[in-house]
Amino acid sequence: MEHPTQQALEPATSAPPSRELEGLYVYCIGPLVEGGSLGAIGIEGREVLAIECNRFTAAVHSCDAHPYESRDAEVVASWVMAHHRVVNAAWSRYGTVLPLTFNTIIKAQPGGDARANLAEWLESERETLNAKLEALAGRAEYALQLFWEPRLVMKQMARSDPELMRLQEESRAKPRGAAYMHRQRLESLLKRKTEAAVEAECRALHGRLSRWVDDVRIERPRGESGQSQMLMNLSCLVPASQVHDLEAELSSVCEREGFSARLVGPLPPYSFC
Amino acid sequence: MQPIARPRADLVDLLDRVLDRGLVLEADVIVCLAGVPLIGIRLRAALAGVETMVRHGLMGEWDQGIRQASRTDRTVAAAIPVPTVRPRLEHLPALQVADD
Repeated sequence: MEHPTQQALEPATSAPPSRELEGLYVYCIGPLVEGGSLGAIGIEGREVLAIECNRFTAAVHSCDAHPYESRDAEVVASWVMAHHRVVNAAWSRYGTVLPLTFNTIIKAQPGGDARANLAEWLESERETLNAKLEALAGRAEYALQLFWEPRLVMKQMARSDPELMRLQEESRAKPRGAAYMHRQRLESLLKRKTEAAVEAECRALHGRLSRWVDDVRIERPRGESGQSQMLMNLSCLVPASQVHDLEAELSSVCEREGFSARLVGPLPPYSFC
Repeated sequence: MQPIARPRADLVDLLDRVLDRGLVLEADVIVCLAGVPLIGIRLRAALAGVETMVRHGLMGEWDQGIRQASRTDRTVAAAIPVPTVRPRLEHLPALQVADD
């Protein structure tokens, strides 16, 4: 079932007086700050309110107590971007937030309202939430992706590895039939050596990461992009003071021919709460 | 030193983070979807990579390793178990080994 559109949620002028919406979509929780409107930046253009609730601040919009569902990729994409827009705005404003997963809608109970339920939950989780907020203060999430171009790296290997260089010379001196078999073995060795070298590069980079990164989550690498292939895809929790050094380290790795990196952030700490 | 790419987060960067991450509120006052949520499935299928260079499952130990290391001592990189990155080249066409 499709979630009602904004038009459906808002009564027409000829409709009876507006009813209290019975759900509260919660984008994120932050430390207590002054409440107010974050603007009409929410899902489907809803106005997002920062409400003070039990010594926390929650970024919310009122909605029906029904989850957002759609089979339309464009609609889902717009919801995802809107959810992020709100979390990001709150994060910028409050310094630290705990993003809630998409579609977190608190419903009212008979005789009560959703806000009271939110307050009750915040009270019951107070210590945990405060500990998380404290742990994430001054830190941001970054997507760190390392790419390589196999052909370039292999060419470099073929030109620099003494054993491969010697075998290439031997191959040229062999008669045609024997040279073919020899080159097959040579290519196999080149692949193995390249794989080992790239694996070693990844191990080394990973080993160094803990100098600058508080936490790491390994993501599934994405597909190819042109000649490049993604080698590592990480979500990293990085203290603000370490971002520059992390970037310098990645630049250093990318000085090697055939390697490149992408560092996306700062992002709210979606993966670490 | 070459600067690395610092693009803005795009939809692919945000999709899993927004749909699958974040704090999960476990309470009976939460509106829940019955069964498997439809949201995002087709979108994610459309954006899924065609090939992976590293097998996700093999890297779990590595993941846990650095988390543990980060908790105990951020400077002890040696305590992290050996990662199991397996860059694979079997899908590449035959190579010209000699210089161009």
